[in-house]
Amino acid sequence: MTTQPLGRTIRTVKPIPQARNNFERTMWLFMRYSGLALTLLALTHFGYQHIIVGTQNITTAQTVNNWGEAGKSINLGQFAWRAYYMAILGLAMLHGMNGVRQIAWDYIGNNKTAYTVFMGIVVLLSVIVTILGTLALIFGATAK
Amino acid sequence: MEGLMTIVKEGWRYKGAGNVMWMAHRISGLGIMFFLILHVFGMSMSFFNPALHEIMLETYKTPLFAVGELGLAACLVFHSINGTRIALLELRPEWWLQQKKATQYSLVATVVIGVPMILIMAMASINHFVK
Repeated sequence: MTTQPLGRTIRTVKPIPQARNNFERTMWLFMRYSGLALTLLALTHFGYQHIIVGTQNITTAQTVNNWGEAGKSINLGQFAWRAYYMAILGLAMLHGMNGVRQIAWDYIGNNKTAYTVFMGIVVLLSVIVTILGTLALIFGATAK
Repeated sequence: MEGLMTIVKEGWRYKGAGNVMWMAHRISGLGIMFFLILHVFGMSMSFFNPALHEIMLETYKTPLFAVGELGLAACLVFHSINGTRIALLELRPEWWLQQKKATQYSLVATVVIGVPMILIMAMASINHFVK
């Protein structure tokens, strides 16, 4: 927030002041920082799997190889893969859920029932899938 | 449909490119979230049900998903770059003087990064399916 250049009006965007709405304030900041992190994380993930590996070459063997087999000890590389996916999973799910919440609020926010039902489904689905993904990343891939 | 056309036309005339980018950011975000849920479910099955995990991976290799993959790439690249613009500008309000330039740069960056990516993936799919 620098001084304004002479003769120009500069609008400033700031998170909501602390005392007013802590949740919205935190989410506002979270969306920006997680977005910056996800740009790096998600684009490298997408680029690696779709361009370097190639969609047609992705196999279950690759998953087992990268994640390490369930019930067996893992090496540093496999730990790094899991940490990388864990970071994307957590950040992307929270970022996505909050994004959907804002959109739903804008378009169906005046209809409390529709809003609650819609968000209930989205959050339930996202949370279940996130728990499944987290458990899979903790335990590893089951070899066929 | 007519109402939608009015929103698009008048939105463009009255609010300009920024409004269209805002709309595109929301639509691409919803698209990514939809695939994210499907994708995380499929990957989690590598632990819970390897057979289903394999079915999910094989589904991604079908022509329908080969087309969807291009849409996902477009959404992801646009959403990432446009989002970076939003985050940087809002965390650094003094850069708002460069707002128009930032919009142009992010569109150029989306094309420069997105088009080659989509072409590479499209070529790989064409080579695979048309043989």
